Amino acid sequence: MFEVIILIIALIISLIIVIKAADVFVDSIVEIGLALGISEIILGVTAAAVGTSLPEFGSAMIAILTGSPDVGVGCAIGANIWNIAGILGISAIFAGLITTRRQEVRRDGLMAILTTLTITAALFFIGEISFVVGVVLIIMYALYLWVLIRAQKSSKESEMKYYEDEKKRNLGKKTILMAVMGLVGLAIGCRAIVYCTVELSIMASIPEVLAGILLAFGTTAPEFFTVLTSAKKGLNSLAIGTVFGSNIFNILIGLGIPSLFTVIPVEPITIYFDAPVMVFITLLLLFLIKRGMKLTRVEGVILVASYIVYIVTRLYFF
Amino acid sequence: METHKKIMVATMGKYKDDLMEYALDIIQGRKTEVIGIYVVETSAPFLTPKKVRQMIRAELRKRGEEILESMQQEFQSSKHFMVNFRKMLREGDPAAEIVKAAEEEDVDLIIVGTGKNIIDKRLLGSVSEKVVHSAPCNVLLVRTR
Repeated sequence: MFEVIILIIALIISLIIVIKAADVFVDSIVEIGLALGISEIILGVTAAAVGTSLPEFGSAMIAILTGSPDVGVGCAIGANIWNIAGILGISAIFAGLITTRRQEVRRDGLMAILTTLTITAALFFIGEISFVVGVVLIIMYALYLWVLIRAQKSSKESEMKYYEDEKKRNLGKKTILMAVMGLVGLAIGCRAIVYCTVELSIMASIPEVLAGILLAFGTTAPEFFTVLTSAKKGLNSLAIGTVFGSNIFNILIGLGIPSLFTVIPVEPITIYFDAPVMVFITLLLLFLIKRGMKLTRVEGVILVASYIVYIVTRLYFF
Repeated sequence: METHKKIMVATMGKYKDDLMEYALDIIQGRKTEVIGIYVVETSAPFLTPKKVRQMIRAELRKRGEEILESMQQEFQSSKHFMVNFRKMLREGDPAAEIVKAAEEEDVDLIIVGTGKNIIDKRLLGSVSEKVVHSAPCNVLLVRTR
């Protein structure tokens, strides 16, 4: 019991380290990019898309590369189901109403469903995530990023105004040091997260995939606070955009990049249950949103109830 | 009835028109100074990424400026010649900032809306309630739905 408590505390501390390290890393990389003359639009769009998802990506990457692929796959797919059904559902309940714009649903929602369908189809037909699948996923992400940057460039009311004051900064040693420290913090933190999760799953006698799915509660903390805060403040585009952006990133990059280094084996339960649930939940969200381009409190309850049904089924029937 | 020479209209955007209507009703053609205040609520939980905080702040500032601008257009239209309107955009805790601004400006009356419904108030708390408790002057609580 004592060991379990220590591991849980270590897991929570590692999660906080990873989230803060990701923050420092993204911040420093944006500054370095600006100093190197990279367009602030490209940096802004990428930072917004990557920022909240680094903990899932890091954990999935380290888990897959250190011989616990089930934790990595569970974390990526679990995060996607939780992002929509849990985070967006809870935020809709608290905010009362989350509205969205048709063009955002058309672009990001379509990409999110395309992403989940691609990975689910690949798992159905191939049964694992191979190098070729990984390349396809990464190309899809590159194309999506290109569409985002193009949309941002054509938008007159650029949301990236907040980078303006950072525009002409010189590249200082401190920035580089912070980027390195952020990266090291991410790597060490993610390794510790994976270690604690695997050990806890052995002690609790639960499969590693399920441990990964539960781990997603922690790694998605940045998304949770981003979506909840922005929904409560009425910044609806940021709320829904974060969820779609994170879900697209978790699969296309979170599973795409590690698969370039090693073939990722996937458990049948994930292929035939978790992945289809992810598709269903994404379709459910699109269905709920499409009716009036909004998510009401009742629809938030529907999403959260779906998550409870999923996780209870997963815990007790498989 | 007491006449008010300096009125503060506090809004987060919603129900802005209701609040302005009440303000004009109270003014009744008298020469009055009106301050429209919007507070950018910068608070965010500990684990919210820094970039997200910056984005939220920028978005809320933009929204605040738009709301105040539209208030200015209404109050400064020729039919409301008696109103001397001023915009005020602040950052921080909305209730605390409204009260602080009212003290600094020495206003006679703060006009706020009741805002959210009962569920939201229980879940999120109400800015208006806090303003009522610590305001340095009269407060007109407009019932908004």
